[in-house]
Amino acid sequence: MKRSSIAILLAAAVSAGILSCLEPGPASESSQAPLELATPPTGGDFTLDSAAGPVRLSDLRGQAVLIYFGYTACPDICPTNLVSIAKALRSLHPAELDRTRVLFVSVDPERDDPEHLARYVAYFHPNVLGLTGTPEQLAQVAKRYGAAYQRVEDTGSAMGYLIDHSAFTAVVDPNGRLVQTLGHASPPETIRAAIRTALGTEP
Amino acid sequence: MHAIRTLFAGVLLSGASLTLSAAGLEVGDPYVRAVPPGQSNSAAFMSLRNISTEDQALIGAESPAAETVELHTHVEENGLMRMRRIGRIVLPAGETTTLAPGGLHVMLIGLKSELTPGQNVELTLIQDDGERMVIQAPVRRLEPMHHAAH
Repeated sequence: MKRSSIAILLAAAVSAGILSCLEPGPASESSQAPLELATPPTGGDFTLDSAAGPVRLSDLRGQAVLIYFGYTACPDICPTNLVSIAKALRSLHPAELDRTRVLFVSVDPERDDPEHLARYVAYFHPNVLGLTGTPEQLAQVAKRYGAAYQRVEDTGSAMGYLIDHSAFTAVVDPNGRLVQTLGHASPPETIRAAIRTALGTEP
Repeated sequence: MHAIRTLFAGVLLSGASLTLSAAGLEVGDPYVRAVPPGQSNSAAFMSLRNISTEDQALIGAESPAAETVELHTHVEENGLMRMRRIGRIVLPAGETTTLAPGGLHVMLIGLKSELTPGQNVELTLIQDDGERMVIQAPVRRLEPMHHAAH
């Protein structure tokens, strides 16, 4: 259970202003160093494991990439978002779909190995890849993308442990830039529009 | 979010599937989410309308489909979705309480077999007065939450 230490690491990424952080705000005049909590997500390259081997974000240049952080034992929030994302994918033109990938990043590597993740994501759409990594890798990626999660041990639930997690989807454009985040339960039309904006295809 | 739930409740109330307990609890449109292969947990949703004049509460549930059944809710705090087990779902007299995605739900933990859309899952709802109400909840494929609007 040494992974409980990740909870502490990752709690550092918690930010109420995750979404608004992406908007360029007024320049701070404060002389204090910005709190780590307030650090806006910057995006950036990373490598994580899939059932088919390592996946590097930079290998996906030329494509719009949606990144969602969750875990497969999540009964409701993650499937809700993945279903909406899958519906958005199914509504794309084939040429757009060819240039769109979704990365479902499990922050529960203890329960979600790459093979289990591959089976899970295939249920939603073939363009969804299931990724995970070491707690340290996951902490770093989550921080870059403004995602937050923490393992909760003492819930009195047969689940054993739960993982609190943010539920937005990060949108990365074909140049690898983090351009937008979509809130929990965004409708498929909103997700499709974000993909098209990232691809520069149509509004 | 509140608006979505309200809309959802409205849709549920118009559904055809209603079960009534002796104590005056009306269960509307129960369903269990179909889950991806290998997924060991699912959730059941429904509307619970207390048509009696006394407040009631749901204090538990059972199902032969899962090792453990618990009552859970979600709260969103600082951008984090926190799922938590709760001891009871209070059902105020005359009101409808909706168990819906993103909020209150009956959690099925340790599914004994795959859930196939169309199949029924037996659920026993346990009320605080000791009454046990057996309902059949069809398994439904996951859909985006607002799909009922069109």
